[in-house]
Amino acid sequence: MKQIPMFWIKGFGVFLALIGLLAVPSWLTLPYFLHLFILALIWTILAQGQNLIQGFVGYVSIAQAGFMGVGAYFSTLTSINLGWPVWCSIGLSTVFTGLVSLLVGYPSLRVKGHYFAIVTLAYNMVIFTILMTWKSVTGGEAGVPNVPRPVALDWFGVSIDFEGRSNPNYYFLVLGFAVIATGLCWLILHSRVGRVLVSIRQNESLAESIGVRIWRYKLFAFVLSASFAGLSGALYAHYIGFLNPDPFGVDQSLNAILAVILGGSGTLAGPVVGSFAVVLLPEYLRIADSYRLITYGFILILATIFLPRGLVPVISAAIGSGLRRLGVVRNG
Amino acid sequence: MLEIAQQVLNGLAIGAVYTLIALGLTVVFGILGIAHFAHGSVAMLGGYLTFAVMERWGLPFFASMAFAMIAGALAGLLIERLAYRPVRDAPHINAFIIALGLTMMIEGFNLLAFGADQVVIQTPYREVFNIAGIAVAELRVIVIFTACGLIGITALLIRKTKTGKAIRAVAQNRNAAILMGVNVERISQVVFGISSALGVAAGALIGALLAIAPGVGESLAVKGFAVLILGGLGSVPGAVLGGLILGISEAMAAGFISSAYKDVIAFLVMIGVLLLRPEGLLGKR
Repeated sequence: MKQIPMFWIKGFGVFLALIGLLAVPSWLTLPYFLHLFILALIWTILAQGQNLIQGFVGYVSIAQAGFMGVGAYFSTLTSINLGWPVWCSIGLSTVFTGLVSLLVGYPSLRVKGHYFAIVTLAYNMVIFTILMTWKSVTGGEAGVPNVPRPVALDWFGVSIDFEGRSNPNYYFLVLGFAVIATGLCWLILHSRVGRVLVSIRQNESLAESIGVRIWRYKLFAFVLSASFAGLSGALYAHYIGFLNPDPFGVDQSLNAILAVILGGSGTLAGPVVGSFAVVLLPEYLRIADSYRLITYGFILILATIFLPRGLVPVISAAIGSGLRRLGVVRNG
Repeated sequence: MLEIAQQVLNGLAIGAVYTLIALGLTVVFGILGIAHFAHGSVAMLGGYLTFAVMERWGLPFFASMAFAMIAGALAGLLIERLAYRPVRDAPHINAFIIALGLTMMIEGFNLLAFGADQVVIQTPYREVFNIAGIAVAELRVIVIFTACGLIGITALLIRKTKTGKAIRAVAQNRNAAILMGVNVERISQVVFGISSALGVAAGALIGALLAIAPGVGESLAVKGFAVLILGGLGSVPGAVLGGLILGISEAMAAGFISSAYKDVIAFLVMIGVLLLRPEGLLGKR
């Protein structure tokens, strides 16, 4: 029997997953589930960004939710106060968040390891404090009501609107962005830049001694990761329709780390699996809100001790060895 | 001028508590290389425990604090044994992620056991003296002296006892210490016990001085690390200096700029030091 290369199996898996995700609104009849799927896809964008800096470069940033807040508030405030079109606000929120992260990324990338993590965590706290306290602009804890939704698109005479929660059109919108984000990560991982990023994770001093200007690459990964977070924040704000600082605290940044670790840090499918797990698990397990922190922390510790590479590498290794035993695939 | 002196005094009290937190962090980091981020949450747990013991059993403040410190030391032993030891040989970042998980668990536990309302520990030290126009609150003076006492005891423990010698040996060269017959596993336990007890004391003092509430633990841990970044890694005098700078600059910011933004200013100081002198004020280059 002719053997199929592993690459094709992987491609086929991605193809199946995409078909499955595209078909979700047609078989998921309960609006609440569609709502959860939309949130999970927004989380996927966030987690792909987290994976860029944490999984590829090996620098754990704890500012992801803060940057998500920057994007969310930028998009909301420019569309409400300055009257910018929502599409324009969403697009520019990624640029704005990227600029903010460029400013703060430079000093923080001078330190390594734990210290980088702690400095970024301080950023998250600063962002959260500003969102809470700068009441005249952000509305403080009371938040911003009635965040406008994106204007309906006109597709050859058919109007595609994005009103209301659990809207299938919004699902396709965030699915599109999630696919683009994941595709971008794939392109980066398979380029020269991606190899440099991974080499920083593996041995930063060696990469530096070879003559790579690693700080540029680190800054690039940090800025791109923050831009992803800004995009996911903007998509979140215009979807939920109400904005307050609560979702952008340190806890959410920790959840983003959990999503990456649980799914498989440094893999492309890991953040996707992890995001769905982080959004859907508490609903499935019916965890009361008060136990959620304890459960998540416990899962994070167990995963780090017993499953340090995450779910995706374990599952794909199991499938691979199964298929190999059947003699269906060859390596490649 | 009086106003400035007043804020410096206020800053000294809170800075002493930050130093206490930073001391617990630097001991763990120096010996085990773990950025024990859950330290702040352990401190908050200690504050809550002190409060609960005072309320339930009616013990005086310092007796309750001592009780909480013992409980905290035991919790520290458990944390070291169950959470950190399994990843001892893994990359350091795994231990940090464990620390984040522990933070979530302890914060969650605090929320469940003690509720979301803020708690202020009531102490009988309510006198306010007036010295040369400066209002000196008895409580602040007691906090400063308690913190200094604990720092002194820890320093003596590390400098003068046999266990302290072993701790310093492990910090200098782990493998050589093992070869000399130092029981490294026991040393890690001792270090975690000491560090957690110090953290709990800091939590109780914070509870008396300001308040304990959900989320305070995380910002306390960040400030502890900020102190370490300011002062320089592994330097105890650096930790003291960093704690005082952070406390005083925070008090100044609260007094003259805005109390809502005092945390922001503390972090800006930290980022400034990182930009100009990444190895810390007293750190070695």
